Amino acid sequence: MSEVVDVAQAQPAPERTPWRLLTGLLAEQKRGLIAGVVVGVLWAAAKVSIPRLIRNGIDHGIAGNESLLKWSLIIGGVGVMAGIFTAWRRWIAFRESRITEQRLRERLFNHIIRLNVGYHDHAQTGQLMSRASSDLQQLQGFVVMIPLTISNLFQVLAILILLLTSDPLLAVVALAPLPLVNLSARRFSSKIHPAVMEVQNRQAALATVVEESISGVRVVKGFGAEAVQARKLLAEADQIRAVSLDAAKIRSRFLPAIDILPSLGLIGVLAIGGHRVLRGEMTVGQLVEFNASVMLLIWPMRNIGQTLATGQRAAVALQRVQKVLSTESTVTDSAHPISLPQTPPLGAVMLRDVRFGYDPDRPVLDGFNVAIPAGTSVAIVGGTGSGKSTITRLMLRFYDVQSGSIELDGCDLRNLRLNELRQAVGVVFEDTLLFHDTVAANIAFSDPDAGMDLIVHAARLAGADEFIEHLPEGYDTMLGERGYSLSGGQRQRIAIARAILADPRLLILDDATSAVDPSKEHEIREAMATVMRDRTTIVIAHRPGTIALADTVLLLDEGRVAAQGTHDELLNGNARYREVLASFTDDQQADDVEVDAELIDAAVPEPIGGD
Amino acid sequence: MWSMSAVSEDDKLNRDTAKKVIRRSWQFARPYRRTTQAALVLVTFWTATTLAGPVIVKYGIDSGLGKNDGHALNMAVAAYIAATIAAYFIARLQFVYINRAGEGFLRDLRVRVFDHLQSQGLSFFDREKTGVLVSRMTADIESMGELIQWGLLQFVSAALLVVMSLALLFFLSWELTLLAMVVFPVIVVASIRFQRDSNRVYLTVRERIGNNLSALQEGISGVRVIQAFAREDEQSRRFTASNDALFDAHMDSIKVSMWYFGLVEFCGIFATASMVGVGGYLVHRGSVSLGVVTAFVLLLGSLFDPVQQLSQLYNTVQSAGASLQKLYGILDTPPEVGEAVNALDLPHEGEVAVRDVDFEYVPGRPVLNHVSLTVGIGERLALVGPTGAGKSTLAKLMARLYDPTSGTVSFAGIDLRDATLHSLRQRVVVVPQEGFLFSGTIRDNLAIARPSATDDEIIASLASIGVLEHFLAFPEGLDTEVRERGSRLSAGERQLVALARAALVDPAVLVLDEATSNLDPGTEAEVEHALESLMADRTVIVVAHRLSTVRRADRIAVVDHGGLLELGSHDELVALGGKYAALSAAWERNQGASPGRPA
Repeated sequence: MSEVVDVAQAQPAPERTPWRLLTGLLAEQKRGLIAGVVVGVLWAAAKVSIPRLIRNGIDHGIAGNESLLKWSLIIGGVGVMAGIFTAWRRWIAFRESRITEQRLRERLFNHIIRLNVGYHDHAQTGQLMSRASSDLQQLQGFVVMIPLTISNLFQVLAILILLLTSDPLLAVVALAPLPLVNLSARRFSSKIHPAVMEVQNRQAALATVVEESISGVRVVKGFGAEAVQARKLLAEADQIRAVSLDAAKIRSRFLPAIDILPSLGLIGVLAIGGHRVLRGEMTVGQLVEFNASVMLLIWPMRNIGQTLATGQRAAVALQRVQKVLSTESTVTDSAHPISLPQTPPLGAVMLRDVRFGYDPDRPVLDGFNVAIPAGTSVAIVGGTGSGKSTITRLMLRFYDVQSGSIELDGCDLRNLRLNELRQAVGVVFEDTLLFHDTVAANIAFSDPDAGMDLIVHAARLAGADEFIEHLPEGYDTMLGERGYSLSGGQRQRIAIARAILADPRLLILDDATSAVDPSKEHEIREAMATVMRDRTTIVIAHRPGTIALADTVLLLDEGRVAAQGTHDELLNGNARYREVLASFTDDQQADDVEVDAELIDAAVPEPIGGD
Repeated sequence: MWSMSAVSEDDKLNRDTAKKVIRRSWQFARPYRRTTQAALVLVTFWTATTLAGPVIVKYGIDSGLGKNDGHALNMAVAAYIAATIAAYFIARLQFVYINRAGEGFLRDLRVRVFDHLQSQGLSFFDREKTGVLVSRMTADIESMGELIQWGLLQFVSAALLVVMSLALLFFLSWELTLLAMVVFPVIVVASIRFQRDSNRVYLTVRERIGNNLSALQEGISGVRVIQAFAREDEQSRRFTASNDALFDAHMDSIKVSMWYFGLVEFCGIFATASMVGVGGYLVHRGSVSLGVVTAFVLLLGSLFDPVQQLSQLYNTVQSAGASLQKLYGILDTPPEVGEAVNALDLPHEGEVAVRDVDFEYVPGRPVLNHVSLTVGIGERLALVGPTGAGKSTLAKLMARLYDPTSGTVSFAGIDLRDATLHSLRQRVVVVPQEGFLFSGTIRDNLAIARPSATDDEIIASLASIGVLEHFLAFPEGLDTEVRERGSRLSAGERQLVALARAALVDPAVLVLDEATSNLDPGTEAEVEHALESLMADRTVIVVAHRLSTVRRADRIAVVDHGGLLELGSHDELVALGGKYAALSAAWERNQGASPGRPA
């Protein structure tokens, strides 16, 4: 993650403070927020007027001679207003906060998926996920409070003014405990926070013990170590209980106090007010009004304290979100893009003196030169870490070269629009990523507007048509994490169909067969041969059968081309080539013994770490 | 704030199961019954003090105002102050009590469920997903924390408050009570509906959050493919769709709650208005006093608020019930591999005999059929065959990680099912493909094989397989923390730990599952060497993936389609000209094609 930080710091942040980002978003919602405040103020006015109306009802209606019905109707009428405004202000506040959340999440997602691959190499998926989920939730929790708190503040102010103007002494008595409530609430939250964190830490520790005991159940059972794990768990469970009780003690000290303190003010009102009523200085209605007004203060006062705490958390969350949004992609469209030529032959590739390393001081490719004429195919062979797959990434301009240049049909990649380049280059990766969508949509990934006939045609060429027809819902079967799961070979055929449909001028088969069962490899090979016909193709492979698909073979060693020729030429004439191939075949012996695994694997529930 | 817990229809308990869950929990809470009962008594007192305020106000107004009696008013105030102070201490105490009982209950639950999980056989863990089991032990238990911290008390006190306020109101004035009851059903019905609707809407919200997170994850983890195919715009559209759907669900949930809160607000004020009107009329007629009406106006809140609380707590209680039900479900699963009543200790050595064994993970899908073979003392047997043929299963049966469906597996003539588990684990040790490490130090990870081992024994076992130097070279030697899942160690080093564990037990029989993939080149030779030292002078059953391993075995068993196809030495099987001969020939060819590396 440290490098993410560096990257982020290297870019000038256009938005300095996190609040600027929020105010910018809220400015777009000005109308909704103002409406929220207006409705909130009306709500507060209705709420504040009720105690006064009750007092009038009691003093003029019950104790006096005015019409009871009139006062009942007035109170009831204000009740209707209060009900409507309660609902309305809630609706607006939540709607606006969800809009902020929704828009920001969309912005984040769009930004993240366009950040250069180098950024994603260092960023953790989970971290980025929580930017767009839990961090935004914190923010939403704060935004919803903004209009609500404004109207609460208004209510508090109005009641304070009413109370203080009508009877300052009684008001001071009634309000005296409220600062205490506020103080306890703040002390409570500062004390309970570390306690709750501790509880969560202990819970996480227990989760680790559980998770390890279950994942490692074969080790535990194998050594009869159940008692060891049980002791670990017992210790953690005792710890959780201890720290939970610590937290409970803090709660027990503060929560009842926060609950009960306001009553002290009310008792004071009753004592002083009662005596005044006795002396005829005050009416019963006034006493009730006072009481009811003070009650109205309690909840908003607590709420304001809560809003402050929420605001602090939201600021931290916002800062993290801001950091992602202000990171700029280092691979961008050129200011003056050129277009690829459209006249055949297409797909000539030229790498000139390329130097590149993920860590700039440790080049993976150095002085790398290759020319691939249009319409021909080249297999790139090299040991682990020789930089074979780096070539794919450079061709797609996931990264820019440090020095030298890469050209496609005579155009430097950096001068092309990214979209145009990536549509011109099709890749079948080692591991095919399937999206949670139908088979058809997964094939049409490269061209979502493609018709069904094109999709089926591509699937047929890729040799995928047959198994797709046998899926429960054919081309409409859902794939992906929560969908139907395909075997390695089937996934690869979907990927090849994808590439066929994309009809790229340059095709890269990046270790495309390594995830495929060797007994099925020849079928994939046929499909690959179909796509490669008359197309510039780079094949990155280590199985001889796949390497043989290419016209020429290029041996990559220590960042540069060590030898070039046909498979047979290299096999006979180059010791290093034989060595590299042998290191792969050794891997494969394991595979070769295992045949026909898929059917059985599908039938038997996976024993943990089993066959 | 309204509670955000929800229960799906599937998880909802019906009356009978709910009763069972409650009864069982009560039994489970046996050690904490007294504390719980004390807390419940206290909560009654506490609820009563909540009601004291309005009553005292009434008393103050009526006796004080009516008779112009300042003394009565002072008494009322003093009583109110006393009740309030008492309420604080009662609340503190009940809080501590209920938490002590609740946390004790949860602790016992954690320990009991975990112990029960550990008593399950491996087939249980094959069936159940790790994530689900972990969430039973974590999320399901933790979700009850909220209930214990305040929910249970609030539930009881809210219920008591409704009953007590009603009784009190009735005592003060039955006419006004009837009047208050006019709104009461509206609030009850609205609360029930709200509870139901918010539960439904919240389930939708939760589902959409899940979809949104999947879309998010798909975009982030698939970023290379998306960029490779220049599908950023399309992916954005897909994400927007799930994001908008989530927004709509949120809006639905607001709609449900906004009407409810508006209605409740209105009902409260409406009840007050009718108190003023009708109550005033009754005062004029002289049938109630002004103090009573005032008390009613003040008491209405304590009648309506608890109904709202109850409806919100209902979901919390339901989801806790659902969690408990699942946890009790685990406790009800009978342990599978147990120890026989008169179990015997296994002798120090003996041959391993498999007699006519059938085995199936899932009934009706046999994995092994009528397999019989014997492995002599000190013999090395290699199991070969295609993936899924049953060779690993056979190996596991020999270590009694599973029991055969029929037939027997025995050591020195004793059926493994009649052996003590302790002696079995001492005689037969399984070394899996990949070394699994627990968080803790290297020493902890070794000692798991034999907790009673002394430092000297640990050192000796490491030395016996020649890996002592390697581990002592770590910055903190054997006390080096391996971090989560041993991420600080390489795959090869993790494997060395696994081998050292086996060496520490010093078993008679070693069951090995050979790794299919190559280890890091740095430690590969060391692992090979350690393995050889470990295998020396022991009976070894190895699930083999490499020719070199097979060639070093005394005998080879070819397993295919759940049966023992061929059994014999390399030369015998080659001479037989069957499946092994073909396999071996294919290997030889491959070997010839790779002159770079001798076998």
